[in-house]
Amino acid sequence: MSRLRPCPPGRSRPAVIRPWLTSPRRAAAAASLAAAALALTACSSGPIAQSTPASNGQNFVPGAPGTTVFGHDSPMAPRVSGTTLGGARLSLSEFRGHVLVLNFWGSWCTPCRAEAPALAALAQHFGPAGVRFLGVDIRDTPATAEAYQRDFRITYPSLNDPGDEIALDFASTVPPAGIPTTLVISRTGRIAARIIGGVSYPGLRGLITTTLAQRS
Amino acid sequence: MTRPAPPATPDLPAADQPEPEPRAGQAAGVSPASPAASATSAGFGPWAWWRWTWRQLTSMRTALVLLFLLAVASVPGSVLPQEGLDPQAVQQYYLSHPALAPWLARLSLFNVFAAPWFAAVYLLLFLSLAGCVIPRTFRLAGSARQPPPRAPRNLARLPLAARYQTALAPGEALAAAAALLSGKRFRLRTGDGWVSAEKGYLREAGNLLFHLALLALLAAICLGGMFGYKANRLLVVGDSFANTVTGLDAFHPGRAVSAAGLQPFTIALDKFGASYLTAGPLRGQPSRFDAFIRYSPQPGAAMRRYDLQVNHPLSVDGVRVFLIGHGYAPVFRITDGTGAVVFDGPVPFIAVEQAGLTSEGVIKVPDARPEQLGFAGVFLPTAVDTGGHLGSGFPAPLNPVVSLISYAGNLGMNSGAPQSVYQLDTAGLHQLPIAPRPLAPGQSMKLPDGYGTLTFTGYRPWISLAITYDPGTMPALIAGLTALAGLLLSFLVRRRRMFVRAAAGPDGRTVVELGGLTRSDASGGFEAEFAGLAAELAQAHQGGEPAVTVMHPAPGGAAGADPPVQDETTEGE
Repeated sequence: MSRLRPCPPGRSRPAVIRPWLTSPRRAAAAASLAAAALALTACSSGPIAQSTPASNGQNFVPGAPGTTVFGHDSPMAPRVSGTTLGGARLSLSEFRGHVLVLNFWGSWCTPCRAEAPALAALAQHFGPAGVRFLGVDIRDTPATAEAYQRDFRITYPSLNDPGDEIALDFASTVPPAGIPTTLVISRTGRIAARIIGGVSYPGLRGLITTTLAQRS
Repeated sequence: MTRPAPPATPDLPAADQPEPEPRAGQAAGVSPASPAASATSAGFGPWAWWRWTWRQLTSMRTALVLLFLLAVASVPGSVLPQEGLDPQAVQQYYLSHPALAPWLARLSLFNVFAAPWFAAVYLLLFLSLAGCVIPRTFRLAGSARQPPPRAPRNLARLPLAARYQTALAPGEALAAAAALLSGKRFRLRTGDGWVSAEKGYLREAGNLLFHLALLALLAAICLGGMFGYKANRLLVVGDSFANTVTGLDAFHPGRAVSAAGLQPFTIALDKFGASYLTAGPLRGQPSRFDAFIRYSPQPGAAMRRYDLQVNHPLSVDGVRVFLIGHGYAPVFRITDGTGAVVFDGPVPFIAVEQAGLTSEGVIKVPDARPEQLGFAGVFLPTAVDTGGHLGSGFPAPLNPVVSLISYAGNLGMNSGAPQSVYQLDTAGLHQLPIAPRPLAPGQSMKLPDGYGTLTFTGYRPWISLAITYDPGTMPALIAGLTALAGLLLSFLVRRRRMFVRAAAGPDGRTVVELGGLTRSDASGGFEAEFAGLAAELAQAHQGGEPAVTVMHPAPGGAAGADPPVQDETTEGE
């Protein structure tokens, strides 16, 4: 999980290194022996992100775990609370006793838009079984995000996380290593599974069913 | 002599070792040039092969070839688009070269710096360097502890020589000479009728230091490559972000960096100020940038204020945050055909020229009804009309204006294929019949055919930050400075030897002979030092004025076959 990059590669590149700015590697340059330059090329690992261009269109590392199912040592979800897009306070602990699907998304993120219909349908499907869905909206404004929810007929709430605070709360346990990331949290508040990248309807349904079947 | 066994490995070019030592008896290994010439082993077994391979690998020539290969190998990295830097361009390449691209991908040419063959080159180079430097380190350590050689028989043949007579007995004269030289911090060795003294071992210590520091430097840089990371983030005034993978725009971690291991700081941008020269030939040139930020090293900690400036980075938790760029993000509110607000927020526009900061950007409204909306346009901080053409005359927002082309249709965002937020894919879009016209803050543009309304509500500056974590920087700096110090020491200090022989002369008076030898007396000055020492010795011996002779030419090793001249010292490379 060390080789993941955030969702839309295009979002990344302001590409505005202006001529008046000096390189941030100035300090390193102080040690500019020939040997240093030589060894620098030798040892520093190159850029890591490895998307497979023509194949799947997902900017995640091939072979990186799309889905991780945690066993009996599954980590506890952190204490998280925030404000929903509608402005209400909401805390993760309110979902204790329910299987919770936590989805990190953004309206600008194309894989999120692709998986949104599946999430909306699964939320409908598992609603009677007591499964709750909660979104964490990353780097959006509420108006834009609410338009997204209307568009995809998403009825479950989303916490607004423009400053990545909720993502940061998860950083020490199961960090969302890209957008979208989906966590399935058990009734007791343990993270049962994590999906990095877009979910598929059958894939997430299977994970929810498994988690529902667990007694704890 | 207690010198450690000389290395049989000719691991460095012979330029600094004028004569290969005639050590025929010590055929410790096979010569790389003629491996079969080994006297000890008749065949060329696996061990010999291994030694030969190792010697080839650690030779300077191989290191240079590998270095050259590394340079050549990185060429495709700059010629072909790289996935780590620009995945968009790689995809573009796939589309334009459908036959060639899969083959290039098979050779890892779209990801050169993570390719196995690239790793092979730099690992071999590292091995070669380490294999060269480590044995030299041991050799130098031996050389630094080496006692002075025996005094040659005929001191008059040395480059510097002197003789005088004294009334002291030979033994007394030698003792007095030893005391005097010892007082001058020479290292002594005495024998029957002679005293050898040597000084300048600091040269070897410097050389040793240089080599050790070189190894430390390699290790430090590897450390940085393993545990360091680089990231970028564009931040609009009023926004904040956290140092998590989702909060960063571009993230290039080292091999041992995990998403959970990032330093959990938060940065909020309160205000950004830019000053520009308003007069003179450099009008419009930036003179000062201040990003007033608040940051907290970890969640829950108190926020601290900081004035982030160019070349004045923020250090938080070992991570350095640099201000590397800025621009404007016009703010738009867009309602769609149903009257609902479907977009409200800032959109970073990217400067395309520096004199007036004319910036370009796109707005994507994928949740608009009846169709998705897209806009592409320019932001002019100081709009001026130059003969019917609108341009920006100054980088500060004196007369900010946006001008947009409007599209409707399919943005291509719902299929899940990644796309740049700075580019509009117009393939599925049709342009709306409304001419672009400049909008000032607060002005609206009603889209035709009931597509809705766009309002340019204002603008906010943005900054781009470079976030670098390199735990190897400080060790590398220290190692680099140490290497430099060691190199200077080995250049400035010279090893010099004094030999004293005292014997009874024919007239009953003792004849004292002095000899002086130095190697690589690049800076000169040993002649004067020798003359001074000779005078002092003569005075101590109450002898006459010493007759100093200087043999020319006297470069290192002029005394030819005389054994003491041979010197194991490997000179600084």
